[in-house]
Amino acid sequence: MNAFFNGEIFKDSLWLLVKTLPTVFEVLILGLVCAWAWGLVLSLVRLSRFRVLRFLAAAYIDFFRGLPLLLLFIFVYYGLATAGLRLPPLASGVLGLALCYGAYAAEIFRAGIQAIHKGQMEAARSLGMTQGQAMRYVILPQALKLVVPPLTNELIAMVKDTSLMSVIAFPELLFRAKEKMGVVANATPLTVAALLYLVFTIPLIRVAAQMEVKRRKKKKKGGAGPPDGLTPEAEMELLSADIAGQLPKGGEMH
Amino acid sequence: MTAMIELVAVHKSFGHLEVLKGIDLRVAHKEVVVVIGPSGSGKSTMLRCINGLEPIQKGKVIIEGEDLHGPHTDPNKIRQRIGMVFQSFNLFPHKDALHNVMMAPLKVQKKPKEEVEEIARDLLAKVGLADKMEAFPDELSGGQQQRVAIARALAMKPDMMLFDEVTSALDPELVAEVLGVMQDLARSGMTMVVVTHEMGFAREVGSRLIFMDGGVVVEEGDPREMIVNPKEPRTQKFLSMVL
Repeated sequence: MNAFFNGEIFKDSLWLLVKTLPTVFEVLILGLVCAWAWGLVLSLVRLSRFRVLRFLAAAYIDFFRGLPLLLLFIFVYYGLATAGLRLPPLASGVLGLALCYGAYAAEIFRAGIQAIHKGQMEAARSLGMTQGQAMRYVILPQALKLVVPPLTNELIAMVKDTSLMSVIAFPELLFRAKEKMGVVANATPLTVAALLYLVFTIPLIRVAAQMEVKRRKKKKKGGAGPPDGLTPEAEMELLSADIAGQLPKGGEMH
Repeated sequence: MTAMIELVAVHKSFGHLEVLKGIDLRVAHKEVVVVIGPSGSGKSTMLRCINGLEPIQKGKVIIEGEDLHGPHTDPNKIRQRIGMVFQSFNLFPHKDALHNVMMAPLKVQKKPKEEVEEIARDLLAKVGLADKMEAFPDELSGGQQQRVAIARALAMKPDMMLFDEVTSALDPELVAEVLGVMQDLARSGMTMVVVTHEMGFAREVGSRLIFMDGGVVVEEGDPREMIVNPKEPRTQKFLSMVL
């Protein structure tokens, strides 16, 4: 027990690790904003009427969904450095998150947009709106509401995946915990790191679950409402995009 | 005088299925053309071709003298002059009634907010929804939603209106309130093309009746005359079933 929970070391590590939280938030928030913005752009390109662009976006999404995030971090930080492009750990972390999570977010946004009943687009166009205006004022406001739960799941995964940045010397929780563990020859710092992750992930998990319950209830109640509800196919799409987002993207830690 | 709407030999296919097999139609100013026909006859598709929601393979769609598919035509500009109301209402669920009506004049015509709000309040009052301005679509009955949809289309001050089976999704007791609004609109001189199964409306309000079947116009004429005395056997058969 003492190996995992030593009171003295606990206090020490807690202070040490709490001090790293601002750095973690920094990379997380930057990564999140970049990934979601990039994902939204990708999804719109993926749904555009230009075939070549559509293909490129789809290829990008498949490519980055298929790569382990850990490999991506290592490539961005060490790989690019061998070609003379030296990115600092923070920039590497943000870039890695944006590249990878952008692909996942793109799929979620796409499913969200496609889940909006096509009558909405038709009504907007019949009023003289251009495709872009219809997207901006009619489709996206509805789609963005729909993707909040899957994006919350993405956020949970992203919080956990910041730990992968320990391999690129980014001073986040796991990196510091491992460091400390080496010094004290005791696993307590890891316990502290685990608790700190949970402090952030568990509320998010609860929020996501709550949203799911609410959505189900609303769906049950609905029926006479306007045809803006999800078709069963659209719902499956959103769900699968969501599940994909929850899968671990990183490799194993060594 | 140029027609408000002119279709010349319009052909439309979905894949290998030809839905419109050469439709010719002229709608004059202030005319109320009622289109009837069995489901799958192409009447809704024809309506959707008039404002370019469906692309066509052959033929011409001319709106107030302008070729909808002409090389220098902006279909978005033309659509601003054609109001359309759908069977499934298609109100924007994230906006209340007032803002459903305000959106297009605000964002498309870029009119000032005060002016648009006045237009919208006027229109909603006119369709009998003065007390529902702040209601969201899911708080309204089908009939109320459809009346908001009519007001929304009218807010663009269109030159003509298309109605695509607008009462088909309504409970029977709600049909009258929507037909009433359409009747008022026709009386005010609006040019209208109405796809419907409401033969009463056709008789009372229609200035011309068109019967479509199998992607062609089978018969057209004065509604009062044609309903009691159809000439074509297919029209006779259809009317005997719906009357």
